[in-house]
Amino acid sequence: MTQAEIKLCSLLLQEHFGEIVEKIGVHLIRTGSQPLRVIAHDTGTSLDQVKKALCVLIQHNLVIYQVHKRGVVEYEAQCSRVLRMLRYPRYIYTAKTLYSDTGELIVEELLLNGKMAMSAVVKKVADRLTETMEDGKTMDYAEVSNTFVRLADTHFVQRCPLVPATENSDPGPPPPAPTLVINEKDMYLVPKLSLIGKGKRRRSSDEDATGEPKAKRPKHTTDNKEMWPLAYSQSQHSRVNSEFQFTFQTQTSSEIVRTMLRMSEITTSSSAPFTQPLSSNEIFRSLPVGYNISKQVLDQYLTLLADDPLEFVGKSGDSGGGMYVINLHKALGSLATATLESVVQERFGSRCARIFRLVLQKKHLEQKQVEDFAMIPAKEAKDMLYKMLSENFISLQEIPKTPDHAPSRTFYLYTVNILSAARMLLHRCYKSVANLIERRQFETKENKRLLEKSQRVEAIIASMQATGAEEAQLQEIEEMITAPERQQLETLKRNVNKLDACEIQVDETIFLLESYIESTMKRQ
Amino acid sequence: MAGNKGRGRAAYTFNIEAVGFSRGEKLPDVVLKPPPLFPDTDYKPVPLKTGEGEDYVLALKQELRETVKRMPYFVETPEEKQDIERYSKRYVKVYKEEWIPDWRRLPRELMPRKKCKKGPKSKKAKDTGKGTSLTNTADVLKKIEELEKRGDGEKSDEENEEKEGSKEKSKEGDDDEDDNAAEQEEYDEEEQEEENDYINSYFEDGDDFGADSDDNMDEATY
Repeated sequence: MTQAEIKLCSLLLQEHFGEIVEKIGVHLIRTGSQPLRVIAHDTGTSLDQVKKALCVLIQHNLVIYQVHKRGVVEYEAQCSRVLRMLRYPRYIYTAKTLYSDTGELIVEELLLNGKMAMSAVVKKVADRLTETMEDGKTMDYAEVSNTFVRLADTHFVQRCPLVPATENSDPGPPPPAPTLVINEKDMYLVPKLSLIGKGKRRRSSDEDATGEPKAKRPKHTTDNKEMWPLAYSQSQHSRVNSEFQFTFQTQTSSEIVRTMLRMSEITTSSSAPFTQPLSSNEIFRSLPVGYNISKQVLDQYLTLLADDPLEFVGKSGDSGGGMYVINLHKALGSLATATLESVVQERFGSRCARIFRLVLQKKHLEQKQVEDFAMIPAKEAKDMLYKMLSENFISLQEIPKTPDHAPSRTFYLYTVNILSAARMLLHRCYKSVANLIERRQFETKENKRLLEKSQRVEAIIASMQATGAEEAQLQEIEEMITAPERQQLETLKRNVNKLDACEIQVDETIFLLESYIESTMKRQ
Repeated sequence: MAGNKGRGRAAYTFNIEAVGFSRGEKLPDVVLKPPPLFPDTDYKPVPLKTGEGEDYVLALKQELRETVKRMPYFVETPEEKQDIERYSKRYVKVYKEEWIPDWRRLPRELMPRKKCKKGPKSKKAKDTGKGTSLTNTADVLKKIEELEKRGDGEKSDEENEEKEGSKEKSKEGDDDEDDNAAEQEEYDEEEQEEENDYINSYFEDGDDFGADSDDNMDEATY
């Protein structure tokens, strides 16, 4: 793990779980798999605190454990899961757009708690919704369960591995740690949960099941469901892709592509290069209800998309009216390239961007050729090329004429290696998010006194309003915060909002680049 | 080397024109310090995306940040003891729900341990509810009464033996040396010392157990 990633992980863990958990987590990320005593010894924290921290981290799926020989349990942190914590608000928002408020709250509860049993989630979400609804109305548990089932069907949530049920207790002492197994098929099975009645007096079959003796109880009634972040990538994919399509084609074609993506959400793994082939009949049937285009028009669109030079959609067969696939790898590649181009343009100017696009297109170019093709004076072209070279957007390829690699007899060609440039950019993104978080924390700490004061004043006003105070008194309390202080608070709020918004946007770029790198690595 | 034009004369091994400047031209100064911390950029960054969606995600993010601080998973750093206990501190404390992990899914060594004065069940006393510990206390008291009928000084030894036995069963490569045992020890002792001020194991009296303790208490009060 690079230093930048470790720094970002440390900041995220600190914000979410406090300093002790952060210390343990970062130590594990740095040093890999370690047993309990070694962690306590190396970090200098007390054993009790290490245990607590590990419990929290395991609960949130950030650390896994393994039993080695002689009963030693080793703990390993998963850096990529920690980095995902940056994306939680985006997950919740996606769930909201697809499954409305109920889905949003379910996902939020799962993200906050790591893992939960289905019954617990349903209960909590229904209670929360009941609070926000008008007086007298209550949220039906069945509705929440239905949304949960839909989330599981589209792989947004996933079941955690279970402890295998042992019929008789072990003759010797039980193992130091349970080995969790999960059957692939069971991952998205939802337990039968018949919740009777609404509101406070309800019974769930779940609770009845706990009364049965342990041996008989089918284990999956007390399952836990865990958020599966990869499923989000499918929906994000369709969004991003369709946005991209929309920029250069009509609404209809983007809608078609979106439909195809939605259909292949479950069948395709996130890192597959192609979606499963879909016949045009299926696509026609799955188009959203409002769209009434005829079958022929759909076929025409599909043919056009397949012939497009960008090659996002490909034709893989003729059965069923034509089988079409979406080339995810290509789509990600062009999105990553577009990101790189835009970064070069914003950093170095449009002439540099022209050179960059030129080198991208022609793959390898000599310096003289660059000057000629780009129609930029030699000195400036050299300057720009070297600037981009020093920032590692462009790299040099040596082609020696003689075996001794003499510089005067070697060709030096400029080229763009998209994978390595993407990795470099990703690393910079991690650094910038870490910087943003630090700056935000700094700003908040600077104005801590003022923030506390304003919070206290608000609390006083709220309590006075509850007890029914007069306008004049409220005015007096509000004036406790002077005008320049108010100004300061406004500025602080604006800055913090801006920094937060920056983090969110950089996270989008991170997602894109990570997906591209993953897809490319899988292909190789 | 052979083929070198002119002895001692500097000659470049490559075409100098290709690099960008001719011979004898004034080269830029050598930079002797690290680049500035916040270099000036020629091009200002593009404004951020705005829109309803972005605003909503922003609000979600800020709310999430506040919420996680109140969750039981947020482990507070233990503060150093202050000399004077501030009155206001009592009223500023935020109420946090206690979180009990699902011990079936976690390695056993992660469970908080305490030095057992009772049987092996007492290990889980804190987690599985206070009810069980009270029954344990009752059991222990019964055992003590049985034992006192058997013999005197034997009692504490047998109790100790029980403790050792349970300790070994629970060890299995785990440790014993936690500091947190202290707070659970206190809990244990409080539960045990329901009737007198003395720690049970210190006693060596046999038959007059109850009576003696009362007597001792009387003596102690003046």
